[in-house]
Amino acid sequence: MVKRQMKSSTTDNDGEINILNENGKRPAEDANKENKKRTRIKNLYRQPTAKELNRLHETENLFNSNLFRLQIDEVLDEVRLTEKTTKRFTVWFNSFREYLLSITEDNVEYDLSEKTLAKHLKASLPVCEKLNKTKAMFQFHKFKDINIVGSYDTGTAINASLLIDLQITVPAETYTKNDSINYRFHKKRAAYLAFIASYLQKSNLVEELKYSWCNMCVTKPVIDLKPSGKLGNYLTVRLNLVCEEEAYKLHRFSPGRNNLRESWLLSEKQENVSEVGPPTPYYNCSVLSDITANINNNFIKETLSNSENLKQAIILLKIWLRQRKLCVSGHIISLLVCCLVQMKRINNIMSSYQIVRNVWIYLKTSKWDTEGLSLCKSEDSPHIEQFLEHFPVVFLDKTGYYNICWQMCNGTYNALRRESELAVDMLDSAKLNSFIPLFMVPISNLTQFDHIVRFQNLQKLKTLVLQRVSKEDKINFGVDELPLVVNNIYKLLTKGLTDRADLILQLVEADFSWPVKKTPEKCKNVGFEEKLSFGLILNPANAIKIVDKGPQANLPEAEQFRLFWGDKSELRRFGDGSHVEACVWNADTFSERRAISTQIVDYLMKLKYDVPQSEIFHICNQLDSLTARKMAACEQSEELSVKVLQTFEEIRRDMRALTQLPLEISAVYGTSSVFSYTNPLPPLPSTSDPRAWRRASTCLIKPPQADKKLYLPPYAQANKAVIELSHSGKWPGEIEAFRCLKAAFHLQISERLTSQYSLPSQAYPTHIDVIKNGLSYRLEIFHPKEVTLLRREVEDGVVKFKESEESIRIQRDTFLLASLRGALHGLHQRHSAFGPTACLFKRWLSSHLLCPSHFPATLAELLTATVFLQPEPLTPPTQPTVGLYRVLQLLVQTDWATQIIFLDFNGDMTPEEIMEIEQKFSNRTEEDPVMCIVTSYDGAMPSIWSSSAPSKQVATRAQVLAKATLAYVEKALLKDTNDNLLPVFVPSYSGYDILIDLNATIVPYFNERIDARPKLPATIDVTNDVIPVLEFNPVEKYLEVLRSAYDEFALFFYDNYGGDVIAVLWKPHINDIREFQITNAHALVPIEGSDKKFKVNIEAIIEDFKILGEGIVKDVRNNS
Amino acid sequence: MKTQFSFDFRAIQLRITDGSTNPHMIYIKEHLVRDHTADKPSGRTLFIVNVPPYVDEQSITNAFKEAGSIQSVHFSEKPNTINSNTEKFTLGSCKSSFRVCYLVFKKVASLQNALKLKELQPMNLDKHIFLGINKFIHEYNEKVIKPMELKNRIEVFMKRCDEKIKKEIEKEKQLEQEDDEGWITVTKRSKIQSFARTEKVENKIMSKEKKSKKKKELTNFYTFQIRESKMKHIVSLRQKFDEDKKKIAQIKQSRRFKPF
Repeated sequence: MVKRQMKSSTTDNDGEINILNENGKRPAEDANKENKKRTRIKNLYRQPTAKELNRLHETENLFNSNLFRLQIDEVLDEVRLTEKTTKRFTVWFNSFREYLLSITEDNVEYDLSEKTLAKHLKASLPVCEKLNKTKAMFQFHKFKDINIVGSYDTGTAINASLLIDLQITVPAETYTKNDSINYRFHKKRAAYLAFIASYLQKSNLVEELKYSWCNMCVTKPVIDLKPSGKLGNYLTVRLNLVCEEEAYKLHRFSPGRNNLRESWLLSEKQENVSEVGPPTPYYNCSVLSDITANINNNFIKETLSNSENLKQAIILLKIWLRQRKLCVSGHIISLLVCCLVQMKRINNIMSSYQIVRNVWIYLKTSKWDTEGLSLCKSEDSPHIEQFLEHFPVVFLDKTGYYNICWQMCNGTYNALRRESELAVDMLDSAKLNSFIPLFMVPISNLTQFDHIVRFQNLQKLKTLVLQRVSKEDKINFGVDELPLVVNNIYKLLTKGLTDRADLILQLVEADFSWPVKKTPEKCKNVGFEEKLSFGLILNPANAIKIVDKGPQANLPEAEQFRLFWGDKSELRRFGDGSHVEACVWNADTFSERRAISTQIVDYLMKLKYDVPQSEIFHICNQLDSLTARKMAACEQSEELSVKVLQTFEEIRRDMRALTQLPLEISAVYGTSSVFSYTNPLPPLPSTSDPRAWRRASTCLIKPPQADKKLYLPPYAQANKAVIELSHSGKWPGEIEAFRCLKAAFHLQISERLTSQYSLPSQAYPTHIDVIKNGLSYRLEIFHPKEVTLLRREVEDGVVKFKESEESIRIQRDTFLLASLRGALHGLHQRHSAFGPTACLFKRWLSSHLLCPSHFPATLAELLTATVFLQPEPLTPPTQPTVGLYRVLQLLVQTDWATQIIFLDFNGDMTPEEIMEIEQKFSNRTEEDPVMCIVTSYDGAMPSIWSSSAPSKQVATRAQVLAKATLAYVEKALLKDTNDNLLPVFVPSYSGYDILIDLNATIVPYFNERIDARPKLPATIDVTNDVIPVLEFNPVEKYLEVLRSAYDEFALFFYDNYGGDVIAVLWKPHINDIREFQITNAHALVPIEGSDKKFKVNIEAIIEDFKILGEGIVKDVRNNS
Repeated sequence: MKTQFSFDFRAIQLRITDGSTNPHMIYIKEHLVRDHTADKPSGRTLFIVNVPPYVDEQSITNAFKEAGSIQSVHFSEKPNTINSNTEKFTLGSCKSSFRVCYLVFKKVASLQNALKLKELQPMNLDKHIFLGINKFIHEYNEKVIKPMELKNRIEVFMKRCDEKIKKEIEKEKQLEQEDDEGWITVTKRSKIQSFARTEKVENKIMSKEKKSKKKKELTNFYTFQIRESKMKHIVSLRQKFDEDKKKIAQIKQSRRFKPF
């Protein structure tokens, strides 16, 4: 349709030009342009055709939006198989088929318990060692044909890492009646596969030939081969064996039947004792999957033939699943779609969007774990209840005997259900363009899960768990031990974590393939390791519970509770008078409470399976140590912030009750980052310094004496807040007079604070300092009139208002910051991980020398807020460490040149406003911010917080750093199981031109550096009556001087949290030859030999660094 | 534009102490402009370009000590700016950067001496400049004011402000009187009511006018109008479609459609 329209418009154009030519007028270039414009307008107003109207309406009704539809078309185009590939494959397949069909029948009978066959074939049998005791006689019967099945056949394949399924149907006479038991079937199947593999070895059509376990199931080998030639770069081919339906009667494998004898599995005695054991539905399904394969494939093919929309929907669903790395095969999805067609919930007339949506809605409400789903309509198949007894997830196939989801763990199904629910929510939210998060964003384990439990020694764990598993289960799962172990641990974790976790998902890495000439055991010893971890998504509200309450003590359930929890369960009385069994966990601080799940997992694994704590690796709260203040015995920033906030609440109350003021104080708002829990190093209560001298109620700094060592008071931050006075019309209309009056108010408020509450306070023209409980607060009156007066300009006698630099600054730092701070504070109340996450991100930025003047602190907070307000496709994180990964990912993945982030804290922004801002930034100029983040408080100045910084270069550097950090973290945590992530916070000084070493004694926060040792706090004497030296940061002052003087020559980078090095980077054109201009002769020096050429006097500037930093700078080094 | 700039400055090194190895170059010449102001008299004023940020009046005097006695020193960020004399209550700290300087000698001869100097004296021999940590400490301590002092400053300043306002009111009152040609100026405080001449008010009036015009029009009344509005709907849909297409093209350009 798009193409059609474009075509029609061009033909229109051509037509008109032609007419003009016929008239004899030669259209000039300009006229041509004008014509185009006119035709464009004409195009917009042309009579609509029926087709067009249909499409416009269809889009409105059937799809979410135009954009959504176009995006779907684009992505489908992108994953469609190229014609070249299909053509090549068809050619290859034809010759491959011809070759395979030339295989000859073999009349020799082999005894599979000996090695004769393997020797004869020169290829090993793909069976695991445990099946060696199975005896069977095998004879190769030639198969009839080889077929393409699966996604390639039905036209639902995805172009990326394409896998084409081929299928050979083994003739029924290969198997005898008794082969169904004790893995004889599987062994013969393996022998058959080896026969084909050995034949393929001789072919030149195949470049690489490997066995691998299908779906990690050790009884079901397949051949993976790489076609020779260029085709091998695009795809792999999987050769699978299935069995003719006539081989066995299906009811032999109904869920209640036993096909795996206990004596075979558990003891080494003779095999043919025919006692019948417990039912083996899991084993049965491993056989059934072969027998029923053809029936189900035909059913899918039949339903999907000629149904383009259904196919598109399946492709979309497959993309969606692959981005989420869910272990749900395309086969299951295809069957589900077919099933929904059969149930008449979807049909081909629906658009692909509608189908996908309906599938999600179905999945969201489905109950495969408690009610199951069946494709089978006949009555004589076994009842679904029987399946539900044995399988965690039940989805029966066309025959009614085979559970398609026999290998699916409950965790996978829950994840599927949860993701569907999230998907529907995303589609329904009007503000979000849901396409990108649904289909385009890959989800990694590290960012998705709040807590990942990784088992270090899987072999040991397997034996430990298997010792404690019931015999029935053991027989049911047979030699397939890993799923049994996974299921059991999953059950344990679900029971133990109860409602703390929203999702528990097993993460198994056991895809294994090996060359056909070797046995799997031999290859496994070399460089292959099965890995098992569990990912937990925690419930933010429940995960921090300290107590797990059980049933009341006198109920019979209490006994079970005690049995489950062991010694941890105690009888407790609670405030509401109930006596219940309960488990109490150790956690004092917020950060410890967020990590209670690690305690529970450790405890339960030890109790139930005797797994020592050292073998469980938690990926959870690795970075918590970074949000602790080392000067205060590692108290977490959250707890310290709470103290500041509590005192602030008291001051607020006091302020509002102040009497004898000309105007009442109507409100006090905090603006410092500590008020939204986002200050990594919140102020500590200060002690009055015995060595300071004072003026009025404030400490002064002693100037250095010539012979003595310089003593500086410890750096103390002031918590800043703004005061709002009640309304008055009497403020002066002139800015200096206004400020004078403001100072008078400051003076009076300060006097009243001292006299009414005896709080030490000091007034300044610009602010008031006041101290309470040892914490210092800096208050400033804000009045909108000040901004108005600064903006006022008189032009032709008309008063006009224009933003000036100062008016913007005042508005931003007082009014806007105060409301934003309130919103961020609210955000932290909703998501308790927000504050610590922002702290971590700020520290990360700073540790890479991107101090706030390069990357504003508020922008960092807003980026963090984005992760919590727009977490799609995920849910807001519960762990700050995970939050940091997400922020970094956001930084990396966002295309800042085109994307704008809208942060709507309370849903105040209308679509029109958003449209308008989008329009404004659609064609960005140099002056526009590099990173556009618009909050609902920005008002007339969208993206105010990133307007001055970062520059494009800094933004790019931050992105590069974030990418490297994520790569490191992923490798350290997921591959090396290395706990130490601190290297991520160590800056690299390479690339900087000059390094300025600072005197460690004058650096604020020197003891808070990442490599510093924690200290015990000095005993705090809260009763000090003098305001300490506040906000005296010599390094910051020095940087200010450097930046204002040498801004045109260099950039200065510094770690605000205790860094002792300032890194200097010359601007690129520093060495250029310049001309002399009076207005711009800064730091120029004539080049020797010519009197009209000049260059920048770099040596003198370096000397200036030393001169200006007297007493601060230790050394200035050349870094190149 | 300034390609034909003739370089008529003298370059000379300005050292801070005797030990300075890599001093900055300053460029000096006689201050010559068409209109000389009283504070920069012709013949006695030396114009200095590229003065480093830490230099203050005392140090520049020290440097030119040999040329003769100095009457006054003016710094400014850009040449030829007129210092505005409006009184300020809040004293902003001056930005440190490279500046230009006007040095006024007491005698004409001193200027000539200065222009002939081969070498300047080090600026900080008497160690008067506060640098680095000392400067910051000094600044911090200076900022702390006793409440009494602050009170006095406020009172003095407010008194002056009040006087200024009083004068203005009187001036306005005078304007209200009929002048020679019989005109009366309407001011804020005059008896004849007028509206405030601000941008906001003007915009308001204009928008009101527009609204009233619109009210008089009939919409969706005639058949052609209904037809038009329908067409407009389609056009808006089309426009949105086009916009989305553009967006897609943009996203496509940044290769965002590769899911894996």
